[in-house]
Amino acid sequence: MDMSQILVALLAAPLAAALAMAALPSKSVPRTAFVALHVASLAAVCAAGTMLVVSVFTGLEVYALGEWFHVDRLAALFVALIAVIGTCTGVYSIPYVRHDVEEGRLDPSQVKQYYAFFSLFLFSMLLTVASNNIIMMWVSVELTTLSTVFLVGVYGTKLALEAAWKYIIVCTAGVAFGLFGTLLVYANAADIMADAHQAVFWTAILPYAGQMDHGLMMIAFVFAAIGFGTKAGLFPMHTWLPDAHSEAPSPVSGLLSGVLLKCAILVVLRFFILASLCVGPAFPQVVMMILGVLSVCYAALMVYRQSDVKRKLAYSSCENVGLIAVCFGIGGPIGIAAGLIHCIGHGLVKSLMFCLSGNVMMKYGTRDLGVIRGVVRVAPVTGALLAAGCLAIAGFPPFALFVSEMGFVLGGVAAGQVAVVVIVVAALVVVIMAFAHVITGSVLGEAPAGVERGDVSPLALAPEVVLLALIVWMGVAMPGPLAASIGDATGIVLQQDMQDFAHDGWFVEISGVFAGGAEGVRS
Amino acid sequence: MLDFSLVNVLGACLIITSMAVVLARTGRVSAQLYALQSAVLVALLVALGAVTGSTELYMWSVSAFVTKVLLVPGILLFTLRKVGDSAEVDLAPKLSPMKCVGLVAVEVFVCFVAVSGIDLPTAAAVKPTLAVALAHFFIGLTCIVIQRSIFKQIFGYCLMENGSHVALALLAPQAPELVEVGIATDAIFAVIILAVMVCRIARTTHTLDADDLAELKG
Repeated sequence: MDMSQILVALLAAPLAAALAMAALPSKSVPRTAFVALHVASLAAVCAAGTMLVVSVFTGLEVYALGEWFHVDRLAALFVALIAVIGTCTGVYSIPYVRHDVEEGRLDPSQVKQYYAFFSLFLFSMLLTVASNNIIMMWVSVELTTLSTVFLVGVYGTKLALEAAWKYIIVCTAGVAFGLFGTLLVYANAADIMADAHQAVFWTAILPYAGQMDHGLMMIAFVFAAIGFGTKAGLFPMHTWLPDAHSEAPSPVSGLLSGVLLKCAILVVLRFFILASLCVGPAFPQVVMMILGVLSVCYAALMVYRQSDVKRKLAYSSCENVGLIAVCFGIGGPIGIAAGLIHCIGHGLVKSLMFCLSGNVMMKYGTRDLGVIRGVVRVAPVTGALLAAGCLAIAGFPPFALFVSEMGFVLGGVAAGQVAVVVIVVAALVVVIMAFAHVITGSVLGEAPAGVERGDVSPLALAPEVVLLALIVWMGVAMPGPLAASIGDATGIVLQQDMQDFAHDGWFVEISGVFAGGAEGVRS
Repeated sequence: MLDFSLVNVLGACLIITSMAVVLARTGRVSAQLYALQSAVLVALLVALGAVTGSTELYMWSVSAFVTKVLLVPGILLFTLRKVGDSAEVDLAPKLSPMKCVGLVAVEVFVCFVAVSGIDLPTAAAVKPTLAVALAHFFIGLTCIVIQRSIFKQIFGYCLMENGSHVALALLAPQAPELVEVGIATDAIFAVIILAVMVCRIARTTHTLDADDLAELKG
């Protein structure tokens, strides 16, 4: 089967669904029609995404529309994330939206808006990770903002609109910095390449990166890190994140936090690779390290002091994205691999947690952790999942984040960054305390009077169970093809063959942690 | 005889007009001054096209005229009409004009210093204008931060986008038209969505004051 066509289909399906929904009148068309189109969009993304990812994981590199779109093993990890989390949060959206309609929070036009922009959001994220054209990469990151602003503000309340405004103004301004960085890279490449038209393609620029002007590349990387780092939620450009994540519908919060932030990280990584080839890895690593450590330390304190469950989770996203940046700042095969594993692990865990926060809001009608008590007594399955999710987000074994956080510690020590490791681990202890408090204070304890007993619908619970299963699977025995792909993606970031790492004693030791001792290094 | 000095003079005019956009008392005047600034940008693209012999820049100047001189100011003026009396648009900025001018002067100076370290053949003759392009990002950011009126904050984004446009023209005058079209189209969509949000906020909350839209904290 021609994977180029599958890639085009993967991009076209959610866009077509979004346009079809936009064209339908919300007043005369029943909600079920929008749900049907939404399900069709999810099914197409899941099926085409799976086929594409399997092909790339087995060694194929896919191009489409000439060189405009390109999925290598690095991008495939993020396509997989979009397909899995997009499907899970998409399925969860159906009972969640139904509940909001029953509660009178959404009218038919808002339901149409929700489903249409959900598909457009999936399209924009897929476009971001599949773009080989660096200008298109920027346009697609901008499109993710434009497609989600109406999802953040879908409830139309003052607070929702305030969050939506902060989101769009901070992100469009931030991403404008990313545009400047992109243009500097393009101009730099066009100056040395024989065909200026090729200078827009990341894969075409790559062989020339070493010849680019160092000063210009350093400025470009700083602009890209600030610009796309804004979208990733890195401190101090994170200000939109807690507001947007807390005011958006819970499935959208899960998709924003679980996937969108990682798409922005991928774009930063693309520039990180170019900058490393041009000026050496030290400069981009220092930039990432500074942004990462500041994000982790600030966000850890904010996670602890929040009493709003969704704001707590939002700051936790800032903290985890910071940790990913620190991993890339540490560099080397272990640091980069740990960062990539954390991207996947955090995506799964955070989308699970935001969906669970949606369950809790459906039962308690509030986000205030002071009021939310005894979840396990009110809704036993939700309570058990929430307890497991809190342990997972805190980095306990046997969950996925334990693997990446161990990788971070070992990679940091191997790289001689002991002080950074100590500071970040201290911040992570604060996060553990914060989520332990959620378990003791909200999952356990006496349920308040007046809260109806019984769990949310099976359709809401099913995607959460799937997400938790994946988190445990990644933590206990990472699938061999995934581990191998993470290894190859690490090689792409470092622009080295994976065979080179087979002689790195530390990496050989630690790859056992990553891959369950089986497939980590194909040596 | 056209040479790069004309380009640099037009670059200086961009700084003056962007300051005027930021300091204008009313949203309507800001929109008109933004159209003026965009006209200067169009002139800069034409001048640069004449100097470098790049035919692409002439095409860019046409699309920039349509999008930046006509469309964006038109959208913003239409937004003002839609908002009408439902909310106050012309709120005074948080910073006095003198402080604002001082801040911008510092930003421009820092950008000149940063650009002086760049060694790129295509940019050698237009370093002052490249510094101006870079400075537009910080002027745009300043506009977003100091304006109380969220309507006027849109101009901050527009100024940043103009900075990108100038930088692209200076550093890659032979860039395919598609690159420029992609950026311009995206900017138009961004301005439309920002304008829609302003209208929704005015209709729902009856205020465009950023200080009133600051309940989400901590």
